[in-house]
Amino acid sequence: MNDGTPPAAPKARHTGWDELVSNHRLRFTLSCYLFLIVPVSLLTLFIYLPVLWAFWGSLYEFEIGGENRFVGVQNYAEFLFRDPTTLISFGNMLFLTLFAVCVRLTIPLLMAKLIFSLTRERARYFYRIVFLVPIVVPGVAVQLIWAGMIYADRGMLNELLRSVGLEEYVMGWLSDPHTALLAVACVGFPFVGGFEVLIYYAGLTGIPESVTEAALLEGCTGVRKFFAIDVPMVLSQLKLILILTIIGGVQAFENIMILTRGGPGFKTMVPGFWMYLNAFSFQRMGYACAIGVTLFVIIFTLTLINFRYFRSTEELEGR
Amino acid sequence: MITRRDLILHVIIGFFAVLTLVPFLFTLNNAWRTNAEMFRSFFGLPESLTQMVEAKRAQWAGVDAQFEVETDEGEVITVGAAEACGYLWRTATRGFRRSWVELRRYMINTFVTCGITACGVVFIGSMTAYILSRYRFFGSKTLFYYIIAVMMFPGVLTLVPSFLLVKNLGLLNTYLAMILPYIAGGQVFAIFVFKGFFDGLPEDLFESARIDGAGHIQLYLNIILPLSKPILSVVTIMNVLSTWNNFLWPFIVNTDRKYDVVASGLYVLATSAFANSYSTLFSAYMLSAIPLLVLFTYATRPFIQGVTSGAFKA
Repeated sequence: MNDGTPPAAPKARHTGWDELVSNHRLRFTLSCYLFLIVPVSLLTLFIYLPVLWAFWGSLYEFEIGGENRFVGVQNYAEFLFRDPTTLISFGNMLFLTLFAVCVRLTIPLLMAKLIFSLTRERARYFYRIVFLVPIVVPGVAVQLIWAGMIYADRGMLNELLRSVGLEEYVMGWLSDPHTALLAVACVGFPFVGGFEVLIYYAGLTGIPESVTEAALLEGCTGVRKFFAIDVPMVLSQLKLILILTIIGGVQAFENIMILTRGGPGFKTMVPGFWMYLNAFSFQRMGYACAIGVTLFVIIFTLTLINFRYFRSTEELEGR
Repeated sequence: MITRRDLILHVIIGFFAVLTLVPFLFTLNNAWRTNAEMFRSFFGLPESLTQMVEAKRAQWAGVDAQFEVETDEGEVITVGAAEACGYLWRTATRGFRRSWVELRRYMINTFVTCGITACGVVFIGSMTAYILSRYRFFGSKTLFYYIIAVMMFPGVLTLVPSFLLVKNLGLLNTYLAMILPYIAGGQVFAIFVFKGFFDGLPEDLFESARIDGAGHIQLYLNIILPLSKPILSVVTIMNVLSTWNNFLWPFIVNTDRKYDVVASGLYVLATSAFANSYSTLFSAYMLSAIPLLVLFTYATRPFIQGVTSGAFKA
């Protein structure tokens, strides 16, 4: 992420074993370790141990307070091949993630570009703040607001339809099997409140003056400049948002938990929420671990592909 | 002088801004209205507040008007203008008062968890980054990768085992169940950002201080901290934001609902006690935004600088 300057100066001449044997170096090394004990032990206990536990637990069948029974890869086999919810939940996850990728890579970028095109700095600053306002409301509250105020039976959407005489379209947006998934995806419309606009805006400010001037001299303006200059120059930012959206999309289930709890039926079920239900409602901890590991493998693979094939601005420039 | 091009831009951007803010504006508006009012017409202004304006006007004009108002107990009584204002105000704010009773507890829990977590993350993170950035010793590279590698593991992988761990440690229903995992996870990002920043500081600075006999602690306090104020505030804000927004973990580890934070508390309120009183719920949502609103009025600039400075580039 960081492309800062390389470490300023050589820091020590000795490394490795011969420094351990020198008494002075030994004391120095130990003093350094002293400072690292707390962070490293916290990490080991609260991150690495659970990671190992997840892999280990996925091979067992166990409940809280119950007995462990080794079942090998049975949990995985059940989740991948026999569980009837798997296919539908992965389909939903795919749809929601693709939808999120599509809107988060385009609309905030356009908005950032429009704001960037304003002449006055004060206006630009003002709009950047305005689009930041939604992040002061807790994410849960945003979801609850959409569920309780916009999609509800007597909510904003339905009342709006009633007031313009389109009563036949009035429906329970989150409870109707035909609309539930789309309604979940559309929470946050028009998708410009939050970090993305700021991040793209930062990318646009980073475009060197010389590039802009050259484009102007060549007569490259407007829409053509946007696609020929601006988009390639903010590839780093696009890549970042892409990775974050994909990672977030594969594991997201808080929104489902708040909005629909996977319903109606399994119309909006996603793997993450299925994991949650298995762990905390059905007490099938081993099975939940197996789902978690599966999702991890997917995220890991996607991230690798992303780093491998999606080039950033720096690489385009040959830096 | 606004050009035509700017005018068009303002219209488009303004349209999106309004669309973005509309849900929140209606939530704010409906927080002052009773269920009955909301069902009569969704888009109206709060009746008790408009009536209050009328009452005030009558009071100032000296007209002897009578107003029908509702008491907190639900009785409908008829009173004069002066008295009506008080009752009407109480009706309008009923949702806020009722939700605040519950929210106050959640706020305190949130402040405790967020505060301790942020302090821990910034302190541990900057200290660790300082050591890893300024010194090379046996195993320092390995340790750095050991810390950074954590970014690989998504929350969904560790959610269930983390719960089992916290349960086995006997930490369920304590602040520590939230604070310790938050610090463990949050420090990684902090170390990464801090190390990037510290790497860029000139070594001469440290060298001369070391010649004067300064130890780790002095170097940290007198050189690192003063120089890294902007990056400190960025990391603090990012950390507070993520702790603040985390609803699932507090919801899971507070099985007896005593240490719920604002995020998980709102979910509990919405699904149980206040599910049928819209004004109470909506006012809870709006009240829950106040702390971050205050934080951001002071910290917008460092925040924007932080996001813009390139710490968020892949």
